[in-house]
Amino acid sequence: MIQFKHIRSRIAFTFLTVVVAIQLAGLIPLKYALDKHANQLAEEQINVGERVFVSLLQHNTQSLKQATQVLAADFAFREAVATNDAETIESALESYQGRIHAQVAYYISNHDDLVIGTADNQTALFGPNAKADAMQSIVDNQSGMLKFDIVDGKPYQLITVPVKAPDVIGWIVMGFAVDGRLASQIKQLTHLDVAFVQKTPQQDWQLISGTADPALSNLLVKTVADVYRQKMSLHRVDFNDQSYHLKIRSLHQAGDEALLVVLQGSVEPFIQDLSLLFKSMIVLTLVGVCILAALIWYVSRKTTEPIAALVKEADYIAMGDYDKEIQVNSIDEIGHLAKALNSMREAVLQRTLRIQRLAFNDELTGLSNRLAFIQGVHQALLAHAESKQKLSVIVINIHRFKPINQTLGRDFGDDLLRHVGQVLKQNVFSEHDMVARLDADEFAVLLQHTDQAQATRYADKLLHVFEQPVSVQGQAIDVRTGIGISLYPDHGMNEEALLNHAETALQESKAKKSPWIVYNTALEIDQSETLTLISDLKEAIQHDQLLLYIQPKIDVKTRRALGGEALIRWVHPEKGMIFPDQFIPFAEQTGIISDITNWMLLRACQVLAGFRKQGLHITLAVNLSTRDLNNMELPEQIAHLLTSHGLDSKALKLEITEGSLMQDPERAELVVKKLAAMGLHLAIDDFGTGYSSLAYLRQLPVQELKIDRSFVMFMDKNSGDASIVKSTIDLAHNLGLIVVAEGIENEFVLNQLARLGCNEGQGYFIGKPMPEKDFSVWLQRWEGQNEIDIDIGDDLSYAINPLDVDVQKDPFKLDNLN
Amino acid sequence: MFSIATRVCIPLFLSLLSPLAAAADITATITDASGKPVADAVVAFYDGKTTALPAGAGARIVQKNKLFNPRITVVQTGSKINFPNEDTVRHHVYSFSPAKKFELKLYSGVPTDPLVFDQAGVVTLGCNIHDSMVGYIYIVDTPFFAKTDDKGKATIKLSNGQYSYQAWQPGQTKPGAEQKITIEGATEVKITL
Repeated sequence: MIQFKHIRSRIAFTFLTVVVAIQLAGLIPLKYALDKHANQLAEEQINVGERVFVSLLQHNTQSLKQATQVLAADFAFREAVATNDAETIESALESYQGRIHAQVAYYISNHDDLVIGTADNQTALFGPNAKADAMQSIVDNQSGMLKFDIVDGKPYQLITVPVKAPDVIGWIVMGFAVDGRLASQIKQLTHLDVAFVQKTPQQDWQLISGTADPALSNLLVKTVADVYRQKMSLHRVDFNDQSYHLKIRSLHQAGDEALLVVLQGSVEPFIQDLSLLFKSMIVLTLVGVCILAALIWYVSRKTTEPIAALVKEADYIAMGDYDKEIQVNSIDEIGHLAKALNSMREAVLQRTLRIQRLAFNDELTGLSNRLAFIQGVHQALLAHAESKQKLSVIVINIHRFKPINQTLGRDFGDDLLRHVGQVLKQNVFSEHDMVARLDADEFAVLLQHTDQAQATRYADKLLHVFEQPVSVQGQAIDVRTGIGISLYPDHGMNEEALLNHAETALQESKAKKSPWIVYNTALEIDQSETLTLISDLKEAIQHDQLLLYIQPKIDVKTRRALGGEALIRWVHPEKGMIFPDQFIPFAEQTGIISDITNWMLLRACQVLAGFRKQGLHITLAVNLSTRDLNNMELPEQIAHLLTSHGLDSKALKLEITEGSLMQDPERAELVVKKLAAMGLHLAIDDFGTGYSSLAYLRQLPVQELKIDRSFVMFMDKNSGDASIVKSTIDLAHNLGLIVVAEGIENEFVLNQLARLGCNEGQGYFIGKPMPEKDFSVWLQRWEGQNEIDIDIGDDLSYAINPLDVDVQKDPFKLDNLN
Repeated sequence: MFSIATRVCIPLFLSLLSPLAAAADITATITDASGKPVADAVVAFYDGKTTALPAGAGARIVQKNKLFNPRITVVQTGSKINFPNEDTVRHHVYSFSPAKKFELKLYSGVPTDPLVFDQAGVVTLGCNIHDSMVGYIYIVDTPFFAKTDDKGKATIKLSNGQYSYQAWQPGQTKPGAEQKITIEGATEVKITL
């Protein structure tokens, strides 16, 4: 099937095909019929011609006969005949022959064989058949037949008239030559070409005379010979691309003699006439087809025009233009279609609005979503670009939302989010300000026409609100937030930049535990550096750019050095020393942390093995990250490291944070239990910053608790901190845990901790993190110092060379405490 | 014609020599080749003797209704024939026959003089005006002749004796073959033309 671009082409094609087919179906038989008719006409013409020819001959015969009868009836002639006056008879015949234009004349007597002829034909007259011929002639003439004969090699029409006195006493025979004159006479009457052809015993078929082209006439002679043999009367012959119908009629036949007349009718004139008719028909057909084509084109155009209009309307709908209602002008199918398009347009509009709602709204809180917020900021920027006023984008994150969700349930979390959203919304400055929920626990606020002071005022308002516990589902919960602020045009000219920068500020706020941070370019540099650092870090692990630092750890009471916490430093080939807080968070995010941990564990084991060789039985604590705790193969890896370095499980301590445990508590618990089962010493790091309760920790196989430095650092000045530390120590001890204090920066604190019963401590007062090689130096110095101290008579009851200390015999074993 | 007449003379002469006896009825039946009886045929008997023409012997051939009546007239040599025209139109009676060539130019009523037919033979009569008019005069050298009726029969009284006879019908320029017959009482003769 042909593919049409337009319906009207299809309609036009179909109808025209049918019309042309019908016309052809008519024209082809017509052509056939016309040809047949032309032939019939030609045949008819030739038949008519033959009748005319016969009639002409009969008429001629009749008049000749009458003329001859005048002679036969002439009294004087009859007298001459009766008296056998041959000379008179001959002269009378001669004169009469001239008068009636006969070529042959003779008299045949009835009584005897007397034959008198005109001088020219004497020889022909005395044949043995002369009288018989004459008798036949009479019979033929009387029966109305035409008598032809060949006399002396020439064809004649013979007229025989009896001479009566009053009985028949003889006959006058007049012969008229069959020649060109007769042929033209016939042609004039019949409009047919005529040819006379004869055959004699002496000579084969020959043309006597013919009106047609001699070439054609000669051709006829051959044809006629064949046709005559087959005794046919009608024939067709083609000559010079023309078709001729032939009618052959025998005029005389006796023995070997024959005289034929051939009437020739050309089909051509009829064909020409009829083909003119046929051509007119074709022209009429073409004109008809053209008119019809125009009509079809017009009608189909009229039909398809409204469809095209509807297509255009549909295109508008496709382009999202739902405002135009389609005009319904007709009540036919097109009208129905237009109505259908209208209802479709309405339905699509409703659906689009719903999708827009879904696309731009946060279902949970009813606030805008990130997409809507970005658009909102974009719109605001367009407005602000003219007024050159500032605006601020504030991103707020709820701290530790995930654990809240996990411990108190998703419903609770959802309600909390809704509540926070409401708080954010209630505190905006104008109704044009926008509040959106960007992510799980992240909100964004757009404050129009605000400078930095106003933005921070908003942040402070929020902080003020969240100072009080929030009541959700009847429970009071503390909400802590991180807030990042970016300002237009100071921190970005477009919505993306503003939002990104606000988020960067938020990260910084979280990292630095600041209530809020206003974006500045310094943050940006850090961030971009971080990215390059991540890639560099991989190389660093491979190329030994990492260093193991050790921060010493002592027994708070005895001030004996116990070992240290293994820390990492990165000596960047270009940037120099990089501290872990600059790359560890990102290493955690990217997973490189596992490699770092492995490196740390290996290095720690190497260092421990080195100290062991020197006879120093100290311990090293290595920090494990969240990812490490989810690594089920970690226990085996550590076991392998220990055995390969000839270390026992007590040499290595592992520190884990509360947060790392919370990420995947079940999995982490499995790993932790496995490590504990191996006899490894496990410590909770940064205790007090998380939400974990001691009750929870009690379920874990940990032996040690490290109080976060934020509580310890200022405990000498802040009695609150001191009491937290005290109660933590007490509680830990009650649970049978060793307590380690971080961040000891002066001796007062050290002493304070000693008094509170803290078991171990670390901090700048004791020793900053140092390269391993410096550690032995420190050790010597520290031990010496403490000996001096002892000498001075401080409150330390004993001084032991740490080299002699058997760590295994730790006085603060759990059993000791209990 | 002359030769025929000569041939006929001898039997006629012979018949005249024989003694005359009582007359007898002779019936001749003339048929054509297919056996059909021929009407208006003439049979003439010759006894070989020259019989004088009775005085005043003659005939009338009337032209009436554009016909010669009778159509066939048989006379003995030397007879006179009148040609009265009883039609209102005129006729031009002629004969090109060698036995008697004549021409009665346009006339009506009775021509003044009758024509004498003194030569035996057949005379065909025509009218130059009316081609359809044909009449025959059969002139014989004997007084014994008769015409057949519709049944082809002709009856004649003849004395017993030796005769020869010939038959003729119109259209023949000469009489049929001469036959000899001896008549003794009534005789039936069958002739085929």
